[in-house]
Amino acid sequence: MRFLPHTDTDRSAMLEKIGVSAMSDLFADIPAEFHLDEGSLNIADALSEAGIVRKFTRAAEKNRNATNTRYFLGGGTYNHFVPAVVDYIISRGEFLTAYTPYQPEISQGTLQALFEFQTMIARLTGMDVSNASMYEAATATAEAALMARRVTRKNRVVMAGSVNPRYRSVTANYLSRLDGEFVEVDMAGSGTTFGTDLDKLIAAIDEKTACVIVQYPDFYGSVYDLSPLRAACDAAKCLMVVAFSDVSAFALIESPGAMGADIAVGSGQPLGIPMGFGGPHLGLFTCKQKYLRQMPGRVCGLTSDADGKRGFVLTLSTREQHIRREKATSNICTNQGLMCTAAATYMTLMGDAGLATVARHSAAALQSLVSQLPDHVTAASGARFNETVLSFVDQEARDAFLAAAKAGDIFAGIPLEQIDSAAEPRHLLVATTEMVETDDINDYLAILEVTK
Amino acid sequence: MSCNDTTETTFKYSATVGIQHEEPLLFEHAHEAPESINLPGVNGDISAALSAFSRQQAANIPGLSEPETVRHFVRLSQWNHGIETGFYPLGSCTMKYNPRVNEQVVRLPGLAHIHPDQPQDTTQGVLELLYELQGWLGEISGLPHLTLQPAAGAHGELVGLMMIRAALDARGQQHRRKVLVPDSAHGTNPASAALCGMHTVELKSGADGRIDLDELKRHLDDETAALMMTNPNTAGAFESDVKEICQLVHDAGGFVYGDGANLNALVGVARPGDMGIDCLHINVHKTFSTPHGGGGPGAGPVAVNDMLAPYLPVPRIEKQGDTFALVANCETSIGPVLGTPGQIGVLLRAHAYISAFGRQHLHQIAGDAVLNANYILHRLKERYHVPFKGLCKHECLLTDEIQNKHGVKTLDIAKRLIDLGFHPMTVYFPLIVHGAMLIEPTETESRETLDAFCDAMLDIADACEAGDTEMLHEAPLKPFRRRLDETQAARNPVLVWQG
Amino acid sequence: MTIPAKIKYTKDHEWVRIEGDTATFGITDHAQEALGDIVFVELPEIGREVNAGEAYAVVESVKAVSDVYAPLAGEVIEVNEALEGEPEKVNSDAYGAGWIAKIKITGDESVELMTDDEYTTFLEE
Repeated sequence: MRFLPHTDTDRSAMLEKIGVSAMSDLFADIPAEFHLDEGSLNIADALSEAGIVRKFTRAAEKNRNATNTRYFLGGGTYNHFVPAVVDYIISRGEFLTAYTPYQPEISQGTLQALFEFQTMIARLTGMDVSNASMYEAATATAEAALMARRVTRKNRVVMAGSVNPRYRSVTANYLSRLDGEFVEVDMAGSGTTFGTDLDKLIAAIDEKTACVIVQYPDFYGSVYDLSPLRAACDAAKCLMVVAFSDVSAFALIESPGAMGADIAVGSGQPLGIPMGFGGPHLGLFTCKQKYLRQMPGRVCGLTSDADGKRGFVLTLSTREQHIRREKATSNICTNQGLMCTAAATYMTLMGDAGLATVARHSAAALQSLVSQLPDHVTAASGARFNETVLSFVDQEARDAFLAAAKAGDIFAGIPLEQIDSAAEPRHLLVATTEMVETDDINDYLAILEVTK
Repeated sequence: MSCNDTTETTFKYSATVGIQHEEPLLFEHAHEAPESINLPGVNGDISAALSAFSRQQAANIPGLSEPETVRHFVRLSQWNHGIETGFYPLGSCTMKYNPRVNEQVVRLPGLAHIHPDQPQDTTQGVLELLYELQGWLGEISGLPHLTLQPAAGAHGELVGLMMIRAALDARGQQHRRKVLVPDSAHGTNPASAALCGMHTVELKSGADGRIDLDELKRHLDDETAALMMTNPNTAGAFESDVKEICQLVHDAGGFVYGDGANLNALVGVARPGDMGIDCLHINVHKTFSTPHGGGGPGAGPVAVNDMLAPYLPVPRIEKQGDTFALVANCETSIGPVLGTPGQIGVLLRAHAYISAFGRQHLHQIAGDAVLNANYILHRLKERYHVPFKGLCKHECLLTDEIQNKHGVKTLDIAKRLIDLGFHPMTVYFPLIVHGAMLIEPTETESRETLDAFCDAMLDIADACEAGDTEMLHEAPLKPFRRRLDETQAARNPVLVWQG
Repeated sequence: MTIPAKIKYTKDHEWVRIEGDTATFGITDHAQEALGDIVFVELPEIGREVNAGEAYAVVESVKAVSDVYAPLAGEVIEVNEALEGEPEKVNSDAYGAGWIAKIKITGDESVELMTDDEYTTFLEE
């Protein structure tokens, strides 16, 4: 077996040293009734390396992917460009195969990369501090609600119905086993079409409220002014939590920090991480400095070594499960460390200018598409970043278009009810990135015309 | 400080790695950012409505040219120890070799560049691989029903406890909220229980480091929801009473949750499900060799028996006739626990690792892992205190009791190992012994490496007895940075660069 | 290690100095030594009512964290805000500049209190 260095001769010699006669003696403390016969498990026969490559290649070929199909899919996962350098850096064994940097003397590479990541994420989101990752956006949102409860010592959580339904349902699920109240403010039929009705949300806040959670841009791509909510949160002494699904937006539009967020959480997948059928992605978690000690997850901090040289360590670890156990701020341990390094590499390559270009091209592609729509399709109104909802007359019309687009190598959008089960089945959630070219939009529009 | 004595050992071991550069923070690179890199896309206007929200103040992400970016991060990487650079004997962390073919196959465009919400008839290939993995993990654990979705071990614990709670609620036993956790358990166990709205009661380990049956019986009652057990435990010992333990918990009306962190000792040899465990999370980043990445990503699939199967989270991966599907609706489910289908790239690497061993060789993982741990234990047991006697499983536990007499602590031994070219073992865990050193070699280390590590440990024991303790207190001397001031970092936390 | 006279001690290694109807709380020299370098003290809110034996503050070192329990019942009237910037004062002057909170004593509820001699004996045991 090529991953195992020992020969049978080695094994015999080692067994002899240990003082036992057979491998099975090493397992004598496991009651005999539980011992399996060798090879008795119903698992495929061993494959050679070539066999593994062949099997995975065949499986991969059954999947349509972004190298042969144009993607207008979003809903939390986006087909942004991934530079070759990002994958190269995270493929280096020193980053890829390192453990959590608990021994800082020999982990300064990971630690400095995390420190740079935290700094850049804080700057991009306009927040004071960032942790070194959560799993992904939905669990990060749930953790934000839990943190707000700790900070305010109140336990009522209010959430806008225009937050991604997956973030909503995971947050509701996390909170459902704890004392307190979870209020979802329905955003349908309120006069706002596929957007966030702040008046209705603000009306749901009371003095028992720990936090209000909104998404910005919201699940439907809508961009709106959060200052009325900030004022309402101040009045009720609750926290304003802002979730987001494509952090690249903040290279173009005002950041959650500038909008007054106390906690901002969301997805860092757009920062150089492939869609990967949903993972591994990157959960971002940022907050104001004054709430730092209630923040979940690992953080990396600046310090110096015994010779006075600058260095970095994981710090504030008394918040974490391995020390505070049942009183920890979260149970999270293993996180998305390598994805932080990927995002740090990506942001370094891009800089302000590159990030702004990504965001601008993403938004421009949406504007180009929406401004040329034929009459039988309507797009949701108002400011949108790179995502919107297209409405068809009925499900049949939409599905006919989807099928024709698919035949033309375009994934034209996600049927809204696939994520938002309350939605009528005639809407399409459509997203654009800088990977969408003018020709792709022209093809999209042409298919819309012919499936009228 | 004295380091003269190391002349001879330096010849044998080294912690230096060629030329090392002081690399500034990327924010400190002096020049202005270069032109934006060429990016594809529509270079058109954004809507007027969106323009009204334009960011007013630049984020100030510096930006480096591509050659500078590569050199910056490659230099950072060279300050790291990784499993590809050297031995990583971290107990209960299972740092084994991460096969390169796994990295290659998950980067195939048909696996890397696919969206979770694209039509399912265009993702049959990935769903088939995942479905197959579910079946294999069911076989290996002896618990046939799986969710692959949990993002890490701790997330798996939470999901498992949610299922247990749902099963109890379905029986009308909303009063069962007590979770028994041995004092040797990972800190995630009590933290996960708290997040699940349950409270933990700590079980004091017996004199042999194992679960004490009398202590367990004392705490079992009609409020008990579950016992969380790690088997082999974090002292590296198999809980030989596992059958009786499970029986006692079941008789009391509770469930047995298995923390699969130490599954590497059992793969292909014995199955937790056969022993009476109801629910087990599997750390694929441990047992199935997916890279740790400096802290993650991992994945924590949860395997359960028939009793808990109705409560598995959604979406589930099912086979319907000849097609595979992500199925989101199920009334009895605990509901969604993650916003995506899971850490797919991590799970696919695990699939590749199991494929390489297959039915024929899988048991050799546990076999060699346990052999290697016992080999180290045998070589060190005369010179280091062994708190619990007998054979160990995949990891062995030592303490600093002997070295303490010379004023040398576990931390000093760990840091000295760095100078000798090894990553330290897990230190000060488990908490049930003083000055713990938990050593897990895994199956992918050669005898040559194990011997070199043992020689280094024996050198340290020699240095202690020779009274060369100052050198041990000062260690490490060789790496890029010496001991870091953690007090300074925690008192005045600086988490972002203010330059 | 010092154990001043004239103040009272608890089994959880807190001290209390009673002056009229107010009491000052802190942790003992023994406690700060056991914890190591203190990096953070979570102070209670002014106006908070605490019961005797209730956790009213949290003291953190790099690798350990400890709840601090109130020896007496009362209302928090003052907290040592200097600890926010200099938590190390708990290490350097546990009975002086390292005090944590002052309360207005309400009622006669109290945990078991020891004199300096009794606490010295308690530590020796």
